[in-house]
Amino acid sequence: MNSNKKFFLMIIGIISMVIFWISWVSMNPADEKAMTTFVSVDELINDNINHRTKLGGLVKDGSIAISKTNYLDCTFVLKEGNTELDVKYGRTRPDLFKDGVEVIVTGQYLNGVFYADELQTKCASRYEGDLRNESSYNLNEIDS
Amino acid sequence: MTPIAGGVALNLAFGFSILTVFTLFLHTRNGDQRLFLTGQRLALGISFFVFLATFILTFQLIQSNFDIDYVARYTSLETPFIYKISALWAGQSGSLLFWLFILSVYTTIVILQNQRKHNSLMPWVIITLVIVQMFFLILTNYVTNPFKPTEADFIVTNGNGLNPLLQNVTMAIHPPTLYLGFVGFSVPFGFAISALINGDTSPLWIQSIRRWALVAWLFLSMGIILGGWWAYRELGWGGYWAWDPVENASFMPWLTATAFIHSIIIQEKKDMLRLWNMSLIIMTFTLCIFGTFLTRSGVMSSVHSFTASSLGPIFLTFVFLIIVVSFGMMYFRRNELKSPRKMESFTSRESGFLFNNMVFVVLCFSVFWGTLFPVISEAVRGTKITVGPPFFNQINIPIGLILLALTGIGPLLAWRKTGRKNLIRNFTFPILTGLSTATILLFIGFRGYVVISFSLGAFVTATIGTEFARGIHARRKKFDESIIKALIRMVSKNRSRYGGYVVHLGIVFMFVGFTGHAFDDEKEFSLTVGETDHVAGYTFELLQLSEAERANHYAWISDLRVTNQEGTFVTNLHPEKRIYFHNNPDPNRRQPHSELDIYTTMNQDIYSIFSGVDSENGVAFIKIMVNPLVRWVWVGGFILVFGTIVALWPRKD
Repeated sequence: MNSNKKFFLMIIGIISMVIFWISWVSMNPADEKAMTTFVSVDELINDNINHRTKLGGLVKDGSIAISKTNYLDCTFVLKEGNTELDVKYGRTRPDLFKDGVEVIVTGQYLNGVFYADELQTKCASRYEGDLRNESSYNLNEIDS
Repeated sequence: MTPIAGGVALNLAFGFSILTVFTLFLHTRNGDQRLFLTGQRLALGISFFVFLATFILTFQLIQSNFDIDYVARYTSLETPFIYKISALWAGQSGSLLFWLFILSVYTTIVILQNQRKHNSLMPWVIITLVIVQMFFLILTNYVTNPFKPTEADFIVTNGNGLNPLLQNVTMAIHPPTLYLGFVGFSVPFGFAISALINGDTSPLWIQSIRRWALVAWLFLSMGIILGGWWAYRELGWGGYWAWDPVENASFMPWLTATAFIHSIIIQEKKDMLRLWNMSLIIMTFTLCIFGTFLTRSGVMSSVHSFTASSLGPIFLTFVFLIIVVSFGMMYFRRNELKSPRKMESFTSRESGFLFNNMVFVVLCFSVFWGTLFPVISEAVRGTKITVGPPFFNQINIPIGLILLALTGIGPLLAWRKTGRKNLIRNFTFPILTGLSTATILLFIGFRGYVVISFSLGAFVTATIGTEFARGIHARRKKFDESIIKALIRMVSKNRSRYGGYVVHLGIVFMFVGFTGHAFDDEKEFSLTVGETDHVAGYTFELLQLSEAERANHYAWISDLRVTNQEGTFVTNLHPEKRIYFHNNPDPNRRQPHSELDIYTTMNQDIYSIFSGVDSENGVAFIKIMVNPLVRWVWVGGFILVFGTIVALWPRKD
């Protein structure tokens, strides 16, 4: 066998090993946090999904309640469309977390409550949205 | 008036780009030198108008001309001067203009540098670069124009202001550096395409772009490291890399570019791997544009993403065109791309380079797979899935470690074939170093990847050390020089080789830092003045909680006293909780921000975040992370930059 053929076989060998490795990890992630399914709040409640999931929605106005004994513990209501869901979260909250913002939570659904261990806020709108609605301040409307 | 001039400059630049392509194309048909000269000047004209537009926008940002929508969105009267300038790349349309600006700087340099060189290659190089400029001109002229005026029915007396997260010196440097890298690969790509069109795929085009590729690679590396540094110091989640889609978008071209700067050595020295190098540079450039697409399209949710916009399909079309045209041309030139020479042995430097290249591309593919897995999964199975860091780590740590091993093995192999005697002589000391490190670590009680990573690090360091020692020894024997003199002479005689070894040493440092991640520790707790809590053997006492009103924000400042297990004083940390836009009458528009404080040593970082405050009861909520070895990553970054500069340093002749 000449050296070119050997190299060719070697390369084929490496490629197939890599494809096997990547697909194996994709099928059997070692950590439950490796891959998380994104579901809607409706699906979560109706199908009573108990494994780790990600949800997106808005924080219902006035629903944030912070524990008096431990400032880190809080509960709030997540709204997606017309469906509402109680969420419990006990870690450092992002700076932009407040009423009405869009959040993504990751955690587990148990007995009607979603226990979140990750909470991310989306804040892009403030910087890309309609200047009139989103602007911080100092817009003078011209009367016409 | 001036803003209109900006818009007109962009219009003119677009017009000039069409003329340039037309003129230079005619030149390639009939060979008329006058057309070539005209084309060059027209191309310089495009750059001139782009510079003009960029300066006008920058000037308007400094002047706070809120009649321009972009200025009103990203700056306010209170924005400090330096961040008014950096607002140029804070938003979508401005950053696209900035991208175009850098491309125009590069194009100008290429044209001026090659006025009397590479005459056969230059026409198509310029055409390729101008077509890329044209794409960005279409975007800034017709899709998202940075000079768009504010809507006419109201007056903006003060703008939105720059996101406080972006008000950071690193953040002012990180995007330009990254862009200099991304855009820099257009030049080697231009030369590659030109070589393909001319059918001259000999190492000529490689020689003309080796430095360019290295410069672009340096900027891209610096951009990525600075991004990590910024995330670590500003975002407050205690890490510097999260396998976020946009991070991956910059990492993928870095991987193929790293493969490229290795494999062009083979083509220069041995005229092998012609086809492979061509594919690598095309892949790198495509990934640069694809990366921009990932950032702009809103396909991926990410901390970096600009909101969903109409840019996605346009970018995707451009990426598709690049792929089809470049690989189509490669197919057309497949006979010219056959290398005249073949690999001779597995134990040769050439095959070492080839394996290193394969591993880089494999790593790139696995990152690509993980990044796009959510999109693929949604299309195929209909379920939305997000892929987190554990997935990437599981796949990439073994591949990364193989790469680290190859970093040590490659340089010890001889060209063509390494004989058995040489193999034993070259590898004995490094392998013994690696094995003894492993033994010591196992004995102390470390297990798993940590042991492998540290031992490989020791192995690679030993190979680099051997290479330097051997070179110095040879010179001293031959010329009777002092060690320092021999070292300097040796390095300056072969800058790219020894510069490369220094870069490898930087990579080893970074791997040590990455490995430290395995020992991270964290805790969240609350403190009133005088109270203490413990994390990872350290005691944290809240000495004081004060408040201050500053120019553009209001701050609560904590004073934490840190002592170690023996009760010895370590440091004082002052993380802050800030409210930006605190004068805004609408509470919803005020923006909280946690300014963190880090105590850093080579051994570990103590990372403190002031996450919340209960001002009525004087309670501060603190999160502490103890992250070992993080500084090794930044030191490794410095070494990497230094090594690349050594490799790039021009010779006197």
